[in-house]
Amino acid sequence: MIQLKNFTFNYGKTETPALNRVNINIQAGDFVLVCGGTGSGKSTLLKAIVGLAPHFTGGTVAGQRFLADNDVTNAMPHETAEQIGYVNQQPEGSFVAETVMEELAFTLEQLGVPVPEMLQRIEKAIIATGLNDLRDRRLTELSGGQQQRVAIAAALSAGQKVLVLDEPTSALDPEAAHELLEFIHNLCRREQLTAIVAEHRIERLIDLVDQVLVVSNDGTVAQGKPAEQLARFTFVPPLIKLGQMQGWDPLALSIAEAREMISTPVHFRKIVYPHVQPQNIQLTKLSVKYGDLIALDDIDFGAASGEVVAIMGENGSGKTSLLWKLRNEIANTAMVPQQAADLLFLNSLSQEFADSDEVAGVAQNRTATLFEEFVGRIDGSSHPRDLSSGQQLALVLAIQLAKNSQTVLLDEPTRGLDYSAKQQVAEAIRQLATKGKTVVFASHDVEFVALTADRVVQLHKGKVLSDLPVSQALSHKGKLPTQVSQIFEIDGLIALEQLVLDA
Amino acid sequence: MRSLANRIHPGTWWLVGGTLALVAGSSSNLIAPIAICLLAVILILSFRENATWARSLSFYLALAGIVILIRVIFRILFSYSNPDSAIAILLPRLQINFGFGAFEFLGSVSWQSMYGALIDGARLAAIILAVATATTLANPRKLLKSAPGALYEIATSVSVAINLAPQLIESFNRVRRARQLRGKSKRTSRLAGIVIPVLEDTLDRSLLLAASMDARGFGRRGMQSPVQLLTARLLGLCAIVLTLIGIFLLLSGFSAYLTLAAITIGIIFGALSMRLTSLRLIRTNLTTQARSSIDYAIMILLLVLLIANFVGWLR
Repeated sequence: MIQLKNFTFNYGKTETPALNRVNINIQAGDFVLVCGGTGSGKSTLLKAIVGLAPHFTGGTVAGQRFLADNDVTNAMPHETAEQIGYVNQQPEGSFVAETVMEELAFTLEQLGVPVPEMLQRIEKAIIATGLNDLRDRRLTELSGGQQQRVAIAAALSAGQKVLVLDEPTSALDPEAAHELLEFIHNLCRREQLTAIVAEHRIERLIDLVDQVLVVSNDGTVAQGKPAEQLARFTFVPPLIKLGQMQGWDPLALSIAEAREMISTPVHFRKIVYPHVQPQNIQLTKLSVKYGDLIALDDIDFGAASGEVVAIMGENGSGKTSLLWKLRNEIANTAMVPQQAADLLFLNSLSQEFADSDEVAGVAQNRTATLFEEFVGRIDGSSHPRDLSSGQQLALVLAIQLAKNSQTVLLDEPTRGLDYSAKQQVAEAIRQLATKGKTVVFASHDVEFVALTADRVVQLHKGKVLSDLPVSQALSHKGKLPTQVSQIFEIDGLIALEQLVLDA
Repeated sequence: MRSLANRIHPGTWWLVGGTLALVAGSSSNLIAPIAICLLAVILILSFRENATWARSLSFYLALAGIVILIRVIFRILFSYSNPDSAIAILLPRLQINFGFGAFEFLGSVSWQSMYGALIDGARLAAIILAVATATTLANPRKLLKSAPGALYEIATSVSVAINLAPQLIESFNRVRRARQLRGKSKRTSRLAGIVIPVLEDTLDRSLLLAASMDARGFGRRGMQSPVQLLTARLLGLCAIVLTLIGIFLLLSGFSAYLTLAAITIGIIFGALSMRLTSLRLIRTNLTTQARSSIDYAIMILLLVLLIANFVGWLR
């Protein structure tokens, strides 16, 4: 169905091309996962398949692109829109209409589908994505997860033969993500849809896909069966990593499969909850209101020096409001907001470092040293906007830490990061804690929380639902189990790092 | 009331506004403008939607009030009253000599001249409120949707831009907060520190949107023969040239019939060209709003009003 032959794509600035002599061949009806580290070129590969690269990115192309045996190397995306549907990483940025219904109709209108058929197709997509109650709502009123569902429904309703989705479930909770991917899987089986999906959270769809494309940092792409591809891949979730560590062949691709493979007894290190004194933060009756909406409802919050607290809870539960409230209430705090790149406005890395040192009033190179501790040395003349999202996060973190604040606040620090980058952020946070700082961060990501936090505060509609040590909060009995807790079902075992393997 | 408002075509609201303005403009007493002002306010209050563009009534009301006030104040300041009529206010007459002649103002103001000023002001206020009816009641997005096919791309760009405006405000607020987090920088001004990220954000967003729209088929065109294309373009060119000639004739006052002919033919050519270009679009539209019986009923009422006005019943 889709074929790239000797396909090389270069953004033009770098010497190494983003895609290097790529040869892939995807059959009709295949469900394909695209994986790779942060900044490896997953999105570029998807854009090349759709034709957005080079037409909307600039850069040069060599090689050929085929769609259903037609050479479409030079075709503009709208010329192939009848056959390929595309949903990008930030659905909220690509909406054209005002209401859900209008948005769903947009592609169909462009393709000239008659109105009765249009309504039928939209109806099908609405049912599949559970948008029935939202059809007349304004897009701006929807939550992130709902917006993502609208974007996918718009692509589904258009009824193209090929669907290309870039991180389609990043804002969805596990259950909604599972339903959606299951639906796409069924379309592939029943209606010969070809689906190509880039996803960091491999575990969400690994047991559904037929093929896996691994994009490496040098721009090469390898195609193969899921189990064999992932055996070599480094940026993997704990489920796959466990299999790699144990040398399982073939790898277990689901929790259920892994449960059958594990051998007992299991030895692991217990996580000891440090009751560190003295208390650094001690606040009572925190409330935040936006008009009629109560974001934070009279809650108490405390944290000790050297403690890492994770704030969890669904979208709109008050996580971000709590962080901003803490930042306003507590003197001497460093905060990294959700869109960390907003803090960057100078033209080069070295200027950002120098400015940060001046503002903080610390010795020269303090910020640069902190930055290098996180991600290693990077050319000082590079533009902050050209850094990967992980590197930008590290830069903002370094700038904020240079002020030597006692309290560090982070809002969703792992958005868009791969497993190894998450590991780095987790290590950086643990380091801060050992230096006696208090770290409070908001996150959806249970695996990251398991690596990082001492304590988990779960919010629900602006109130504290639970406040537990991490090993209890993420246990298999709770509502937020990690993959490891689900596999082993042992109290106190939540992360791979705790396992002691018999040599 | 809201469901009824939804069924009224946005174009109809502009017809209502236009007609009311026309009637107000040609009235010579106080009753018609006041009636129109009241009607406009009642219409707006009962049919307006809860959206940004519909919240401007108070602005228009203030504007109308100011216009009346200015009109009356100017009449008092520079009164040239008819000495026969009854005097309303007796003020000392002042004279200032600027060197090129005496300049007089204030002085006695007659009832008649005050009344005249009030009518003038009310007429302008009624026109303002009539336009307000159209702008606050006609949803700009719906109006754009009913633009002719040839203008589709432009109409879509405008409606997308309307959608982007609130996002821009949001990203401005976000960046300003982020800026506070970072502390005072000596390297860039406060403004640059906010404007640069917001601009970058906007550019990124626009590119993302353009890419997404293209991938969703925006800008597709059906096949059209070169002859058709050429005809459409020639007609368009002729329309522009004829209209220009018409305007020239109108201003030079050469011949009324020739002027009328040039402009009419120009408009017909323009419409034909538009029609031909629209033919090559292969697009369908889910939410095109057709004019319903309510719209036609309103149009007939407007027509009656216009006829009544020009026959002279309302004067």
